[in-house]
Amino acid sequence: MAAMRYTRLLCALVVCGCVGTESSSANNSGGTLAISTGGDPDVLIPSLVQSVQGAQITDMIYDRLADIGDSLNTLNDKGFVPRLSDHWTWSADSLSIAFHINPTAKWHDGLPVRSTDVRFTIASTKDTLLGSPATSLITNIDSVSAPDSLTAVYWFHARSPQQFYDAVYQLPIMPEHVWKSIPPAGWRASDAAKNPVGSSQYRFVRWIPRVAVELAADTVNYRGAPKLSRLIWSIAPDFTTALTRLLSGETDFIEQLRPEDVPEVAKHPELRTKQNHALQYSFTQFNLRDPVNHSRPHPIFGNRQLRRALTMATDRGALVRSVYDSLALPALGPTVRAYPTTDPNLPQIPFDLPRARQILDSLGWRVTTSDSLRSRNGRPLQFTLSVPNSSKIRVQFAVLLQEQLRQAGVKVDVEQLDYPVFLEKERKRAFDAAIGQLSTQPSPGAVRGSWGTAGSRAASGNNFGSYENPVFDAYVDSAVSSFDPATRRALFTKAYETIIQDAPAIWLAEPIQTIGYHSRLQLATLRADAWWAHIPEWSIPADKRIPRDNAPPSASPSTPPALPAGQKTP
Amino acid sequence: MLRYIAQRLAQAAVIVAIVATITFALIHLAPGDPFSAVMDNPNVSETVRQTLRAQYGLDRPLPEQFVRYVGLLAHGELGWSFSHERPVREVLGTALPNTLLLMGVALVGSFVFGILIALFQVSRRGSVTDHVLSGLSLFFFSMPDFWLAILALLTFTYWLPIFPVGGAFDPVMHEYWGLGGRIVDRLYHLALPALTLMLLASAVVARYQRAALLDVLPADYIRTARLKGLTEPEILRRHALRNALLPIITLVGLSFPALLTGAFFVEKIFSWPGMGYAVVLAIGTRDYPLVVGGVIIGSIMVTLGSLLSDVLYALADPRLRSR
Repeated sequence: MAAMRYTRLLCALVVCGCVGTESSSANNSGGTLAISTGGDPDVLIPSLVQSVQGAQITDMIYDRLADIGDSLNTLNDKGFVPRLSDHWTWSADSLSIAFHINPTAKWHDGLPVRSTDVRFTIASTKDTLLGSPATSLITNIDSVSAPDSLTAVYWFHARSPQQFYDAVYQLPIMPEHVWKSIPPAGWRASDAAKNPVGSSQYRFVRWIPRVAVELAADTVNYRGAPKLSRLIWSIAPDFTTALTRLLSGETDFIEQLRPEDVPEVAKHPELRTKQNHALQYSFTQFNLRDPVNHSRPHPIFGNRQLRRALTMATDRGALVRSVYDSLALPALGPTVRAYPTTDPNLPQIPFDLPRARQILDSLGWRVTTSDSLRSRNGRPLQFTLSVPNSSKIRVQFAVLLQEQLRQAGVKVDVEQLDYPVFLEKERKRAFDAAIGQLSTQPSPGAVRGSWGTAGSRAASGNNFGSYENPVFDAYVDSAVSSFDPATRRALFTKAYETIIQDAPAIWLAEPIQTIGYHSRLQLATLRADAWWAHIPEWSIPADKRIPRDNAPPSASPSTPPALPAGQKTP
Repeated sequence: MLRYIAQRLAQAAVIVAIVATITFALIHLAPGDPFSAVMDNPNVSETVRQTLRAQYGLDRPLPEQFVRYVGLLAHGELGWSFSHERPVREVLGTALPNTLLLMGVALVGSFVFGILIALFQVSRRGSVTDHVLSGLSLFFFSMPDFWLAILALLTFTYWLPIFPVGGAFDPVMHEYWGLGGRIVDRLYHLALPALTLMLLASAVVARYQRAALLDVLPADYIRTARLKGLTEPEILRRHALRNALLPIITLVGLSFPALLTGAFFVEKIFSWPGMGYAVVLAIGTRDYPLVVGGVIIGSIMVTLGSLLSDVLYALADPRLRSR
């Protein structure tokens, strides 16, 4: 369909004599991948990136010292793949790692990558004036030294099973010569931020806000040229528009289909779907503290037995099937199945409506009114469930949950909120219950921030429901510091069992990411934490190319920032 | 006339100032934060959050922020967009021409199309065609703009793939084509969103124009024209239409706000990189300066539209001009 449309337009343009001179000669382009996406990247600076689009694009432009393997192992350096560093050496006490920089690695402006770039990346990220969200992820790194131009030595505060992961995964390396002269507070607004210079297999070409971001293959890259010549993120904030672009052939790829879109995609023989276990889970979080007076327990959810009864009254399997069809599994707890540390057979609180009713009766919440709702001492068993109105999935969950809990005699008022308002209520702990969704990191230790005591007590902590259990904290701490994979898994299992039985949330769904793509694309492995990680290996066979594949990259490439005095481009 | 225009411009300035102040207060008082994405990140510490707020002056009291903003406005600046990391002037400077192009084409198209439909209806007044066209114009008149936009998008880009799926140009091929190709590409992308807005606005114009034409048809000068032996199309075109245009001139001014708000939804659905699209996104991200800047530009456009229609009205009606 797309080919037809382009051919039609191209014919019209040829007839009008409108086509530029480039069209006359076919080139040996590897093809263009056009990706439908929902928004602009927030920023194209690796240490400041927050949005998923920003992460996708910066990961294509910038390289890390080493990349995590497809197994997502975070213990020591097992499975990690060399990138800017071609090899590394651990010190005898494991408190430092010396990374040897690949001598052929160059920035896209032609300057060689040096160990001082590595040192600069870590030092600038630690600078509080920059305000990098990655700062808290690299606290175990004390400093980086550069004994010679091709050796960067990471010095750690303490030996940790994840110190290699912390060193390489959290931050791609940035060019010191581009950023050094810019004050940290001015990075976001700088010209360098709008013309990023990286070292990976794609170089930045242009970013037209609210329209598209374009990257082109770096054909002289130290890792070799990628198979696709051009990557374009085509921006459409309305999901229907983004999907229609895929269906009509204007784009080749969409990263997340909704369950109701899958049959529509299946009607198109030229389109394919593929599933990928992502690092996401959703849950109905109970606020365990009183939303008005945080020093008091919540009048309803402060009781563990009551929370368990609500979980028992919820048929999670039916909920997930109703909302996602087959595109999600019931969540196991505050974890995902893609973690090597997750036991997929974690014991759950079963769905048992009669038992839930019994527990509520025993707690004094009895049905007294004609509408079958429970109350105790004149107070109805009623709470407000907050959801962001931007998430259709979460709104569906809320409505279904409302109905299921009504059968247990619980009244739920669903409150749909603008997303910033929803976040504000969560941050201020001014909610009864909320449907949340978390995208986690490859490290299962991230659970500490969202469900641990520290995350509850810190003013900026993200344990919005204020769940606190020292047993859970202890198991997680022990698991995170364990070097033995079996022990680590056993300890995480204990931690998950503890929190599941405490029921600070009803664990809802673990979505299975379903991508839609054109059959002319030959994909490589989709990594659970980043489906885009292997894009440089994707290809389009020559016989399946359409006119846009042969279009050369935009004629307006980025202008490299001015080099410091005395430096010349080789 | 010049004095009248000067008075209206002064009134317009006061209106814009009031609108800007109210918008500034409302958007700042709304719950939420420009750094929602940062706030949602479990790894972001309170120090980082405070640093970001301080960098953008959001840690200062609201009256102080307002005074600083007014100071910026006095220097012709609209502030700094948090979400675009560039001056609001620059963001709107890129978006406004796209909105004006879309609105301009839709405005001109809707008036031409609406007047032609009205003429056609009146020439066949009382017939089945007249009733069908009245029904159709009522249908489009009552249809929500976002709904028509989605319907048009699905119909003409998916079921009948005639037009491209949104955007102001083809981000993949645009650079590949020469100047002529780029112009064709732009027009190709403009067609569907402009048609959508045009359909919505022309329904209003057609209804107004039909009613105005029917009002003037019983007039003595029309009867005289008939007695002179003029044909019905000539009477409609040369006598009835010219006298029935006055209400339509008023409608030009009234159409500005309607088209502008319509453009907000249409731009989002068609990913048209205009001002509406930018402001809608800015509201979601609490990009305060961009929202206020967009509202200021929008209110200037609306007040100028209203002024333009008043001036046109005065020019068209000799009775008003002589006062």
